This record gives sequence, C-alpha cells and structure tokens, in this order.
Amino acid sequence: MVTNWRIRYSRKGPAVWLAHLDQMRTFERSIRRAGIPVAYSGGFNPRPQLAFALPIGVGIATEDDYVDVKIDDQQNYEPDVNELWCSELNRSLPEGLEVQASRLVTDDKKNSLMSRVTAARYRLSSLELAKKVDRFQTRFNEDTWMVEKQTREKRSLQDIKPLILDIQTEGKHLVELLVCAGSQKNLRPELFLQLLKMHQFLSEEDMLETSITRTELLFAPQHMKVADTNIRDWVSGLDV
Amino acid sequence: MKTEPVNLTDGLLRSVTKPARYVGGEWNSVTKPLSSDLVRFAFCFPDVYEIGMSNSALQILYYLLNQRPDTWCERSFAPWTDMEQLMREKNIPLYSLESRTPLSQFDWVGFTLQYELSFTNVLNMLDLAGIPQLTLERSAEDPLVVAGGPVAFNLEPMADFFDLAVIGEAEETIEELIDLYHQHCPNGRTSTWDRSAFLRQAAAIPGVYVPSLYAVVYKTDQTVEAIRPLDGTVPPIIQKRIVKNLNTMKRPDQLIVPNTEIVHDRMSLELFRGCPRGCRFCQAGMIYRPVRETGVDTLSKQAAALEQSTGYDECGLLSLSTSDYSQLGSLTDRLLEQFSGHHTSLSLPSLRLDSFTLELMQKGSSTRKSGLTFAPEAGTQRLRDVINKNITEQDLLEAMTLAFKGGWNGAKLYFMLGLPTETDMDAQAIADLTDSIETLYRGLPRSDRPRRLELTVSTAVFIPKPHTPFQWAPQELPEVVNKRQQFLKERFRNRPVKYHYHDWHSSLIEALLARGDRRLGAVIRDVWAKGQTFDAWDDHFKLDNWLDSLEKFGLDVSFYAHRERAEAEIMPWDHIDCGVTSAFLYREYQKALKAKTTPQCRIACSQCGATTFEGGICFGD
Repeated sequence: MVTNWRIRYSRKGPAVWLAHLDQMRTFERSIRRAGIPVAYSGGFNPRPQLAFALPIGVGIATEDDYVDVKIDDQQNYEPDVNELWCSELNRSLPEGLEVQASRLVTDDKKNSLMSRVTAARYRLSSLELAKKVDRFQTRFNEDTWMVEKQTREKRSLQDIKPLILDIQTEGKHLVELLVCAGSQKNLRPELFLQLLKMHQFLSEEDMLETSITRTELLFAPQHMKVADTNIRDWVSGLDV
Repeated sequence: MKTEPVNLTDGLLRSVTKPARYVGGEWNSVTKPLSSDLVRFAFCFPDVYEIGMSNSALQILYYLLNQRPDTWCERSFAPWTDMEQLMREKNIPLYSLESRTPLSQFDWVGFTLQYELSFTNVLNMLDLAGIPQLTLERSAEDPLVVAGGPVAFNLEPMADFFDLAVIGEAEETIEELIDLYHQHCPNGRTSTWDRSAFLRQAAAIPGVYVPSLYAVVYKTDQTVEAIRPLDGTVPPIIQKRIVKNLNTMKRPDQLIVPNTEIVHDRMSLELFRGCPRGCRFCQAGMIYRPVRETGVDTLSKQAAALEQSTGYDECGLLSLSTSDYSQLGSLTDRLLEQFSGHHTSLSLPSLRLDSFTLELMQKGSSTRKSGLTFAPEAGTQRLRDVINKNITEQDLLEAMTLAFKGGWNGAKLYFMLGLPTETDMDAQAIADLTDSIETLYRGLPRSDRPRRLELTVSTAVFIPKPHTPFQWAPQELPEVVNKRQQFLKERFRNRPVKYHYHDWHSSLIEALLARGDRRLGAVIRDVWAKGQTFDAWDDHFKLDNWLDSLEKFGLDVSFYAHRERAEAEIMPWDHIDCGVTSAFLYREYQKALKAKTTPQCRIACSQCGATTFEGGICFGD
C-alpha cells in the first residue's frame, strides 16, 4: 500500500509568477524543509515524488489546486500526522503559497488526480470586463469561436467554443468561466481573452491587465473515465 | 523620507520574460518594519537575477547586514532589456525586490563588481534608479554608491561613478562603514548631512577607498605620472582587508532560496579563501592571499544548518582549487555521512584529478553524476611552466585513464589562447594533447571504456589582469588569436571533439577595462549613452561602439591592451595594495618569460608579501 498526502493549496502574490517547474521545485524544497517523509523516485537523479493535478500558467492565481505527495512508508510517522504536516508545510512555504486543507489517501495509480481532472473554473477581472463579455456574447453568437493559438513553433487556429462550458458575468467587471481542463481537453483562459481582443471587444492592454484566478478544479468520480462522466457527476474539493 | 513602493501591474509582468525574477518573495528573503533610524542598503548585482543570485558574496553580506537590527539589506538586479524598456516607458524607477522601494531612497547602493564587462550595466542601473551617475553630481539627498568585489582592485575606469569602494573582503569593513554612517545620520539622512565629511572619515577606515580624494596626473606619453591623495589626512595607499579567521567569522546559516532556477541553484560551503598555487594569469590567486581554511567542524555544522533552512538537495564546495583543501577526505566523508538518507548530493567542482579525487567523485555522484573538467590552460609543458600551471601531460593522461575506467566517456578541457610567449606551435599542441587522449581511449580494451568518446575543448582569450605577474604583459593581437582559433577549428573538424572558442572582440574590451585608468570613465559613459548594456552577453556586445567612443576621447585601445609596460611604470592601481608586492609580481613575470616555475605556498614560501596579514597558510594555519 502506498500513501499519498493530498494537499489543496492556493497561490497569490509573488508566487503567481512562478512557472510550473519553478513551483514544483519550490514545493519540493518546502516539503524538505518541513521534514515531511516524501518518497523519492529511483534512478540516477532521484526526485521527490509530487504529482500536481493540473499545471497552472504563469501569472494565474489559484484558490483551489491539488498536489499529491507520495509518502515514504518505510519511515515512521503517526497515523494522525496530517494536521502537524499541514502546519509545518505552511511554515515552510514561501510568500503566496498556502496549504488550505490536506488529508492522507491511498495511492491508486489508475485514478491519479491528473487523470481525473475534468474542468476548471476561472474568475477573470478587469475594468468593465463583464460588460464587454455580455456585449460580445450578444453580438457574436456564432457556432465556432476561432482563436489564433501561438505555440513556440507555429500558429494555428482553434475553435474554443466546445471547450467553454459556461460563462457567467457578475456586475461590471467580473466574469466566471467554466472550461474543460485536463490532459484530454484543456482550455487556457487566456485564449478566451484573446478571442475578445481579436474581435476588438478588449484592448491589448486590458487583456494583459486582466487578473485570472483559478477558483475551482472539478474531477471525474473515482473509477470513471473523464469521457464517461457528465457534469452532474463531477466532484470538487477534497472529495476526490 | 517617502517610501512609496513601485507598482508592478499584472500587465507589465505578463509582458516580460521570466517575471519571477522581478517580484521577490523568496524563502529567507528578509523584510523589516520601517523606522527612521533604519539604515537601508540596496545590494546590487549588475547582471540578471539568475547570475546575481548565484553570487556567494551577495548571500554572505545580505545575511550579515540583516543580522544587524539597525540595518535592512535588500536586493536589486539588472532588469533584462524587455523589462527595462517597459520600466522606462511607464516611468518605473529601479527598485529593491523586498519592498519595491526605488533605489534612490536608500542610504546605500552597493554594487559587487565581478567582471569588467558589467560596467555599462552599473551605469544603466544608476540611471534607471534616477541616481546621478557621477559622484560629483550627487548631493546629500542621494544614496552613497559603493563598490566591492575583485574588480574594485582596479576601480579606476569607474572611479568617477563610485563614492567609495571596499577593497578586499567586505565582511568587517562594511559593518564599520554602517557604524560610521549611523553616527552621521542617527535618524536617517537629512538634506543637510555632511556627505563629504563622512567620506573623509570613511577613507580613514582600513580597506576603504574614496576615489574622489585622489588626483591622478598623466605624463605626456599617456602613462600615469602620479596618484596623489588630496592632502595629508588621506592615506596614500589603501590596503585590502581580509577576514583572518574563517572559523570564527559569522557565516550564514540561511540563504535566500530563489523561486525560479538560477545558475548555481544549491547551497555551497566555502572551503578556503585564497589559493596556494600561484598560477601567473590568475587574479583571484593573487588578490585573495593568504590561503585561509575553514575547519571541517565549522563546515559540517554550516551544512546541517543550511540543509535544514533552505531545503536544497545539492551541496557544492566553493574554493579556487578544491583538491588543495587540506582536509578534503575527512570533510567529504563527514558530509556524505550526514547527507545520507536525505537524498542530498555533494558536487565537487575545481578538482585536479588523481585516483583519490576520482574515488571521491564516484562517492559524490552516488546520487548524481557530474561531468569532468580539466584546465591545462596551455598545450605545451613549456607554456604551462610560463604560466606556472602545475599539470603535466602525464597527469592528464593518467587521470583520463582512470576516468574512462570509471565510466566517464570524456571531459571538458579548458585552455587559453594568446598567453605570453605563446607561438603557433603552442596552439597546435592543444590539438595534439587532445589527440593523445583520443589515442589513449582507442588503445583501451572495449570492456574498459565507455562507448562514444566525447571531448569538449574551450579556449578563452588571455586577458592580462592587474595585481598579477602578467600586469606588465601585452595582450596578444586579435589577428594572431583569430588565426590560432581558426587553426584549431579546422584541426578539430571530424574529430570526436566539440570546440568552443570565445570571440576576441569582448576580450579586447575586457583587457582595456581591466588595466584601464580614470580617463576611461568618459568612454564607458559614452558607450552606455548609445544604449549599450549587457556587454558580457555576446549577442549584446558591440565592439564598434567601444572603438568609436575611444576615438571620440582621443584614446587608443592598444595603449591599454597591447603595450608591454615598463617595470618602473606607475600602474593606475598602484595605490591599491593587495598584500602581494609589485616586486614579487615582477620577479614572477621575469621567471615566466624564462619558463621557470615557482613552487606553491605549501611547498615553499616565495616571499609574495601576504605575510603582512599575519594569518593563514603563511603561519601554518
């Protein structure tokens, strides 16, 4: 039996600017400082075994993200150690990263957090963004929303409409986006802003100034494939 | 004093590469509550974050200054060009990472000068901070701008821009300077405080150099006639400071752990300062004398504290020549023992390879395998004797035999081109030496060697440095260096050798600045004014900008770089005393020209002058 220590964490402030690899290294070192008996991979270059549910882009804050820390069961620890580890890790994380909740779970390779991520909710906010999105939706009600996607090697057009599950506006400035997330279908929320910019509903400056926060990650229930679930089944929080 | 922090918007940070280097918030970075009597010190590194954060002087002084309740030390680095452009567009002044306070509001702005090609970055950072670049233009309301680091041993080209400099190891000097500042400004600086009185008193502290208190007179042949203190109260010679005992000094038990990857992303232990070897090209080997070691107990304790406080899983050993540490065996045994079970690995740089060190590397790489590097520096034994580099071809081949048997399939070999007395034959011998490694490899039974030989040969261009035996020597002419580089490039074609060579362009300007005088200040500023920064980055360096500016001020690069200097010539840095005497350096230069070697400190004392510091290896410590 292998134990995972499942952490729900948030990030804000300076930590928002960490790239995925930076954040992984930062968690590794924090976990070492906290003295948590993390398991290491084998091979020439053993690494602490951490599995993040979903990488998070540079410049995006989060209120609801998950990482599984594989525990070295060879080392002795008390069964009720969860709270202690949680406070030790919080004392060891740099500014902006914080453990919100945690618990010990049994590792199940076929049901890794990563493979079960289904959708993510984002909160976008900038000056009058909600008004702009409302206008966009009424005036631009096409079947496809093509966006130019720029990767390192090439540019390509992508229809992002099927990846957007819900758009809610709140007041003048706030927009909540529910989008597909995970290894199969995934939408980076920046592409939605890019779409607004392409159709001149948003200036380049406002696009860059829009703050983005991941507010919720949704998972397929255990032992069900992402493709087989429907929205009613999705679970969030530490229920995973 | 107003302390409005600068505002870095999401849009700004999203528009630049690697924004993590501009926001701070790292583990072990220090913040303090503000009060009027808090001395605020901005430690600046004139290059990007990833390079500056790898500098151990930064980590040591940051720790020491922040241990003082009356002082807050913060950091600032050169913003990359994309960030600089946006900062200028949006009128964001250069700021400290910890509190995002504009540097102009600090009491002290300190730069560590690690290489001459960072000079334009210093000027650019001052300008971005809104601090007048020239000492003369600064008033009581501006910070004190102080320099330190190896390049401060000839600060003359930058003398117009620094109010003062700390010569040698800064640990004690900097505290004395802060104490003096506190006496002058007990409640923070006011617009009426007497800056020049402070600088005069600072100049009386051993190891402190105040360039504006010295006048330089030149002869008609352009060489220095005299360097004169303004009056009898100013010391004519500034002797460097050292920390006599490395075991009793305050050493960091914590380091700032960056959030984003830096060049040397590990904890490191300083085994010793100075170097016993006496390689004649090496400035560090001269200016950091005498050798002083840290004891095994001290290092082991520090390693334990750092491992706990940083979470780093790699520990490096820092010194100019690791294998010369007298207790290397017991130290590595102790460290490997205390790291075992923690997945912490030990990395061993700067090793001379023999069976002992190879065994050590295998122990060290039990968790991580690192590459092998050798620095024969020259291709022939004659030229290695000229530079006093004590490695023979046989040493190298024996080491490579052990390495191949130990599973390494190659090594990196470092050489210099353009060394004093070098001929085409010496350059060819670099290729011959590489050939003999290849022959050795092919001669081993297949079972005794790894597959696919891979050698890397790098040649740097030799740059004569101040305070070394070669301070009198001319730099080799660019066309000669270029010819030898091209020869080697051809010679290595279709061989299992990767050949890297460094373009001579920036080496020429490094040679100019390294042994330059005060007249170069105007040139540096002119080059900066053309928008040139990051000279140490090959794709940013433009030789023409330098040559044009030199011409504009009637100066000639060859005068500084390609001229052999006379024994009696007064060097622009002759008022800076690193302990090693000119007489010793000149003796060494003459021996070099005759290809005569000098034994290292542990074998015999060669009367270099470092005994004046009354400590270290000279006294058997």
